[in-house]
Amino acid sequence: MRLKRIFSMAWENMKLRKLRTFLTTLGVVIGITAIIALASLGEGFRMSITERMEQGFELDALTVIPGSLFAGMMPQRFTDTDVENISRIANVSVVTQVMQIGNVTLYNGDGEVRAFVAAAVNFTEFQQVFPDRFIFEEGGMPKQIENDTLIIGHKVNHPNETESAFVHPNDEVTMTVRIFTFFKNYNFTIAGTLQKTGTPGLTNFDYWVFMPLDTARKIYGTNSSDLIFVKVSDPEFSGTVAEQIEGLFPPYQITVLVPLSFIQQVNSILNMVEIFLTSIASIALLVAGIGIMNIMTVSVMERTREIGILKAVGAKSRTVLTMFLAEAALIGIVGSLMGVPIGYGLSHVLSYVLSGFVSPQQNRVFQRPEVERVTIVPIFSWQWAIVAVIFGIAICILFGLYPARKAAKLDPVEALRYE
Amino acid sequence: MTALLEAKDVKKTYKMGKVLVPALRGITFDVEEGEFVAVFGPSGSGKSTLLHVLGGLDRPDEGEVLIDGIGFSTLNDNALAEVRLRKIGFVFQFFNLLPRLTALRNVELPLTLADVPEKDSIKKAEDTLKLVGLGDRMNHRPSEVSGGEQQRVAIARALINDPKIVLADEPTGNLDTSTGGEIVQLMKRLNDEKGQTFVVVTHDPAIAETADRILYLKDGLIQRVKEGRRRL
Repeated sequence: MRLKRIFSMAWENMKLRKLRTFLTTLGVVIGITAIIALASLGEGFRMSITERMEQGFELDALTVIPGSLFAGMMPQRFTDTDVENISRIANVSVVTQVMQIGNVTLYNGDGEVRAFVAAAVNFTEFQQVFPDRFIFEEGGMPKQIENDTLIIGHKVNHPNETESAFVHPNDEVTMTVRIFTFFKNYNFTIAGTLQKTGTPGLTNFDYWVFMPLDTARKIYGTNSSDLIFVKVSDPEFSGTVAEQIEGLFPPYQITVLVPLSFIQQVNSILNMVEIFLTSIASIALLVAGIGIMNIMTVSVMERTREIGILKAVGAKSRTVLTMFLAEAALIGIVGSLMGVPIGYGLSHVLSYVLSGFVSPQQNRVFQRPEVERVTIVPIFSWQWAIVAVIFGIAICILFGLYPARKAAKLDPVEALRYE
Repeated sequence: MTALLEAKDVKKTYKMGKVLVPALRGITFDVEEGEFVAVFGPSGSGKSTLLHVLGGLDRPDEGEVLIDGIGFSTLNDNALAEVRLRKIGFVFQFFNLLPRLTALRNVELPLTLADVPEKDSIKKAEDTLKLVGLGDRMNHRPSEVSGGEQQRVAIARALINDPKIVLADEPTGNLDTSTGGEIVQLMKRLNDEKGQTFVVVTHDPAIAETADRILYLKDGLIQRVKEGRRRL
């Protein structure tokens, strides 16, 4: 008997038992809905985290920091020789070193602001490594590297968003720097003020002020620096470049932070979380499958006589089996196809509800300043939809197999006698 | 000339709990093409069992049933279903129609199972329903027509695949005398006009009297054979 006719007969049969069919299908709908809702949210969550990390990390910028998480060695200081050695590694495009001076205060005559970090850098190189973050609100790069110029981060210049800027280009400021145990004042001219940048890998440049490296070296009387940024020509080389940088130093003396591997790590964790969540959702589908088995077993008993008639007029066991499996498959097809859009819709509802619970933490150094409200935009994934539909239909057929086999194996004479 | 249907020493024993009940104890007879054979006997004589075995619904413990020279014992369940579909039509005492299908769809069912395209099968089902006098009842469900009409639908279903033989199990057993008489007349007419072969199991003497041959069955054995009304 042709499959098309079998399916149309199965469809007619199901229409005769509307409530039963509806309730059985509902189980499948709920199962698929749960899977798709969690998968869409999971995909959205992954996307928003990945996006944030990509915004937060320059994927092509490696950070070399002294010391290691595993061994409390004496902090390594970097020298010009180290910078030169690193710049000779293949696929390295820019290497720049940074000297960090903690907690400085700036005075402009009227008031004062504090900066989290005063970073002594080579302006040109630094801008080459972080072109997207070194964007000026006012002013610009110093025409020539003068020793008394400052570039000021957005949050330092606007400690309170509502008030006007602390300084503008060409303003004179005094910076108080702590040297060992005493404080010393230095005069600087503002060259430029920066736009909001967001969080890079290590910290937020918004809370930094930038001064020329040479000036800082003179103040502290040293030729060394605290960390090195390495820009690779393409993020895909970051792994090999990091290994070669590590090879330049004694073991455990330095750590190379590779943003790409962070993202890959986080991605694989999110993958596991997503699979974990959807497997929990799959339990709902299993329950639906058991419901189908239950209902179909009852249905086979009710229709014993009908099965007997079918066999008497010449239906093969295989035909009877296919008839019942077709009903299970139809429940699976209809339930799954309904569950996918409902699940996607539910994910939007869930995302809306969840976003109410997660309120942004304001005024934290590690908070991206422009984040107003944490939202996960659910993402519809065709892969998940196809997998869920196939899974849904497979579960229905699998659980329909037992009652369908029972129907197919009925002895026609016995079945005809059944009242 | 070989017979259309042959039963050779057919034996069948049922197990009722722990007791073995011999239903058929060695039955041998032939049915020629175009014959109308009645199997007559009291209830419990093994009539229904015999019909099930002849129709390939049940397998005998011993002996062999052949249709068109093909032995059932050589066929597996699928092939036997195919024989039921193509060569045998069944008519039951309780009609055994599918209650949710219309008369037309009930009659069409064997053609559907035989993969006949729907266009052709509908046409043929209509023709067959007209043949049994139900041209105006095609779209009624079994519950919407009388018992006699239901049995006509069942006869139409039995005929639809142009079977070699129609096996009827107490076809009048659930009908009043006059309706039963009409059903007998219908079967007789089909036998006369189309040469349709019938084996009818009954304890209704009215049927038996119209048959070409009557087999008297008792305690699972054919007690005697009576040549009935001869056809011209």
